[in-house]
Amino acid sequence: MWERTLQDLIRGLRANKKDEAKFIAKAVDEIRDEVRGKDMELKAGAVLKLTYLDMLGYDMSWASFHVVEVMSSPRIHLKSIGYLAAGLSFHEDTDVLMLTTNSLKKDLNSRAEDVAVTLNGFSQIVNADLARDLGPEVIRLLTHSRPHIRKRAIIALYRVLDKHPGLREQAVPRLRERLEDDDPGVVAAAVNVLCELARKNPTDYLALAPQLFHLLTTSSNNWMLIKLIKLFGSLTPHEPRLVKKLQPPITDLISTTPAVSLLYECVHTCIIGGMLHGSQGNALARTCVTKLANFLQDSDQNLKYIALMALVKIVPSHPYLVAEYQEMIMSSVNDHDISIRMRALDLISAMANNLQSIVQQLLSHLARNESNGLPSAVQSLSQYSQGPSTPGIVTLNNPSMNPAYRLTLAQRILILCSQDTYESVTDFEWYLSVLVDLAYIANVDVGEQIRDQLVDVAARVRGVRGYAVQLMTKLLSDDSFLLNAGEGGSCSEVLWAAAWICGEYCSELAEPQKLLNYLLQPKVLTLPPEIVSVYLQGALKVFGSWAAELAEQWDDESLPKVKITVNTVLERIRDFASNADIEVQERAANIQGLFSFVNADLQAFHPKSTSNDIDYGEDSSSGFGVETPSVEPRFPKGLFLVHPLFSTYELNPVAASAQASVPIPDGLDLDAWIVPPPKEETEEAGGADGGADVVKVRKAKKGKGKAGIGGKTKKQKQVDLYEEEDVLSAPVETEEEKAERERVSFCFSRKQERLERQRDDPFYLTDSRQPAQGPTQDDVDLIPVVRLDDLPGLSEGSSASASRLPTLKSASKPRPPQAFVIDRVGEMPKGAKPPSLFSSPSSARSPPLSNGSGGTPVASTPSFFPQYEVEDDIPRTGTPPPIKVTRTKKKKKGTGTGTKKSRTSSVVPVDNT
Amino acid sequence: MIHAVLIFNTSGVPRLTKFYTPLQQSSQTLVQKIYSLVSSRQASLCNFLDAPELESFLGQTDDNGEKLRVVYRNYATLYFVFVVDSAESELGILDLIQVFVESLDRAFENVCELDLVYHFDEAHHILSEVIQGGLVLETNVEEIDRAVQEAAKARKESFASANPLSLGGGGVGSRGGTLQTPLHWITDRLTGVRAR
Repeated sequence: MWERTLQDLIRGLRANKKDEAKFIAKAVDEIRDEVRGKDMELKAGAVLKLTYLDMLGYDMSWASFHVVEVMSSPRIHLKSIGYLAAGLSFHEDTDVLMLTTNSLKKDLNSRAEDVAVTLNGFSQIVNADLARDLGPEVIRLLTHSRPHIRKRAIIALYRVLDKHPGLREQAVPRLRERLEDDDPGVVAAAVNVLCELARKNPTDYLALAPQLFHLLTTSSNNWMLIKLIKLFGSLTPHEPRLVKKLQPPITDLISTTPAVSLLYECVHTCIIGGMLHGSQGNALARTCVTKLANFLQDSDQNLKYIALMALVKIVPSHPYLVAEYQEMIMSSVNDHDISIRMRALDLISAMANNLQSIVQQLLSHLARNESNGLPSAVQSLSQYSQGPSTPGIVTLNNPSMNPAYRLTLAQRILILCSQDTYESVTDFEWYLSVLVDLAYIANVDVGEQIRDQLVDVAARVRGVRGYAVQLMTKLLSDDSFLLNAGEGGSCSEVLWAAAWICGEYCSELAEPQKLLNYLLQPKVLTLPPEIVSVYLQGALKVFGSWAAELAEQWDDESLPKVKITVNTVLERIRDFASNADIEVQERAANIQGLFSFVNADLQAFHPKSTSNDIDYGEDSSSGFGVETPSVEPRFPKGLFLVHPLFSTYELNPVAASAQASVPIPDGLDLDAWIVPPPKEETEEAGGADGGADVVKVRKAKKGKGKAGIGGKTKKQKQVDLYEEEDVLSAPVETEEEKAERERVSFCFSRKQERLERQRDDPFYLTDSRQPAQGPTQDDVDLIPVVRLDDLPGLSEGSSASASRLPTLKSASKPRPPQAFVIDRVGEMPKGAKPPSLFSSPSSARSPPLSNGSGGTPVASTPSFFPQYEVEDDIPRTGTPPPIKVTRTKKKKKGTGTGTKKSRTSSVVPVDNT
Repeated sequence: MIHAVLIFNTSGVPRLTKFYTPLQQSSQTLVQKIYSLVSSRQASLCNFLDAPELESFLGQTDDNGEKLRVVYRNYATLYFVFVVDSAESELGILDLIQVFVESLDRAFENVCELDLVYHFDEAHHILSEVIQGGLVLETNVEEIDRAVQEAAKARKESFASANPLSLGGGGVGSRGGTLQTPLHWITDRLTGVRAR
């Protein structure tokens, strides 16, 4: 039998570096045998080996019972191995802990050596039960004859009180006695424990203040003084009188102590303990800041670091004192030590009294990539002469290149500027340029945040829009930015914002049509689809705005220009329409459709005078336009097709709480089960059930919709559609359709079955009422929400919505608000996919601008929602009839802070595909 | 309080890991993370590890909402890393590391990495005389040394009585300290002399 000791195991490990896993597997097998044996020495040796392997990451929880066996050995050299293993491998929930209570109790009453080992192990493994059962034993040991045991008992007591606070009453008086112990180590331990305890419940320990104060003025043990000072730091906020009493001794310590750590703690406690108020406090504050400033200038980096940390805490109360050292602090941001930079950044963010200059400096840190290495070169050289070289020198010389640091820095700039809704930004043109600069130089992934800021600023700050559009135009026209967009850290998301801002606010530009070139250039297709979608939308808005403007000051000279532009767009859009991304494709198709409309209108338009248009060969018919000048406008009506889709309502930021503050109507409990779900329901059916309240409301709405369609129920219509489709496309229904139909009929039968089952259920009140409302009930319930929304829009196209819209408008009594609220809640999760695709980037955005993306996609696809919430109901004048914009007023109560306007248009879809 | 004491070498191999509170990550990932950050730092930099990567990694904050701090010192081939909360004085912990190293040096004459490798248990016993359950037990090197010797003697005697035929084993001999690194922080200003 050659049992291996720990040393053998370690030697073996070192010898088998190549095949470590195999060696360890073998060793663990041996250990398994050894721990099961009867020989205690062997067992302890095995446990020790396991403990070592545990450090290397190999599980030893399976052996916890054997650890307990070793712990209870009477021999101290084995026992201490047991406690060591327990301390390293047990945790609160280890089940064998409850087996240890008795052996621990026995050990705590044993010889002094045993007690010492036990107390140490105990304070590591103690849980609530052990604390409750053994706490009294530990308290008893506070008066042990040996100082070493008293010390250990005091510290073990902290863990006991931590796990079982019920013993506090009993323990604190005994702990207090220990403050007067003969042994300085015991007193220090008691102070240490009190310091930890007082951090959690300061008020409970205020009574000890006189004694502690006595210690503070008499002791010379720096370790203990630090803890005492820290202890007072937690007490003073709860006892203002202490401040006055403490000021003299602390001021004294600050000016006399040679120990830097104590000095620092004094300063720190003054700051966090609120001792810097009043005239005396101000003097003290000045002393503190001066001391900290001295630390800042010190060659010792550690002092610099802690000085920055303390200054952060003093800034809120005494900003003017810290401001005196701004230069010095700014230079710390330049330090070659990333730890110090992080603290300096914190401090600067806290100061931020002169935002522009600080941000400018931070930006320059990001911009100067290499120059940082220079100042530290000498220092790093001198380092090499002192010690062995350290790896990673490249990253070292230049923390500015560290991506994580750059990210922090960039985010810090954004946070600094945007905090409290741009409270400290005075010049927004400057801020926009900062954002664009940041996008260029950040070289880390902050694109999304920059994008959100750009959009947010443009939407909130009316005055800066002109500049924003200008800046964004520049960004859009930057080919190199577009080229690099695919690379990591290129912040290509900024183009999203650029396209959006240019589209939304293009009326600020003199010749917006020039933007079309950039928005529709083929290279755009290399961008992520979310961005391309915004480009397309932007292009549409730009054209709309430009065309409308043109139409207002119509001049027949413009006709060829318009025609060329429209043709170019049609040509360019073709590439987009065949894009693989569904969102891009759909938008492109929409645009194509709209533009063919415009194009057709242009072709049909006949200027009064002889047109010089030679491309289209319609000169011969030009005379006809003159005949009806009074009825026909002088310009092609098609020019007004696009603009109203986007511009009817201005986009406003919405208060973050706007949605939440829509009141829930009386008597509506959204959380209550109307129909408790049967247990065996599948998820699908359960979902339908859960939305029962929604369905109810929907049905009410359906009544109107049906009237418009002509008495056909939805389901019938759907089936009709299927049949039509079948006839038209293929005689055999596809697998999908079949599955879908089966699903519908399955749902139907499930529903019937459930109704049958629950007929006599007294809680099923709602449902029992429903049949009375008529035979349509089943049909309504059957229709899955998704289908209801999607199908008419996609397959039926314009006719259905067209026929539905007038109906709604004529019956345009505003519906009670709850109808909208519930409908929305019901619709959204299952709602049409395109919006969710599109809004995914904007979901990360700050809430205020929910409309920015929300309004756009709805306008691009035929609207599924029959009505929208709009604050005022101004019909747009001068709009020719083909376009119908339907809005319904909806009242909103609650917030006085933000006005909520949502701008959404239900458009008669022009589908020419 | 002190949340963890880690010792690993300049290649990132752990030599001693002791956690006084359960951490979210496994000790291996924590050691690797801290190692990757610490090992790239020059000796001239400060002894507080503060990196953007670490903030999200440690995550845990103490009761006052303050972040855990990582204080480290490098001695020859070993890094001594203490993870502490704001109840501990940052500079005090730097001294404590020094105290711990001096205690190790007293127990193993001229302590080196191999001592910690082969006397892994002994290193833990010494640590237990400095820190117990996350709180500082003793800061006086003499006192610590005495306690270490006493405990080692008790174990040795117990071992001898259980194995009357064995030679030696258990415990380490004391040969007195030779490491001359006074406690600068507490007693005097440190003037550019580093532990390295």
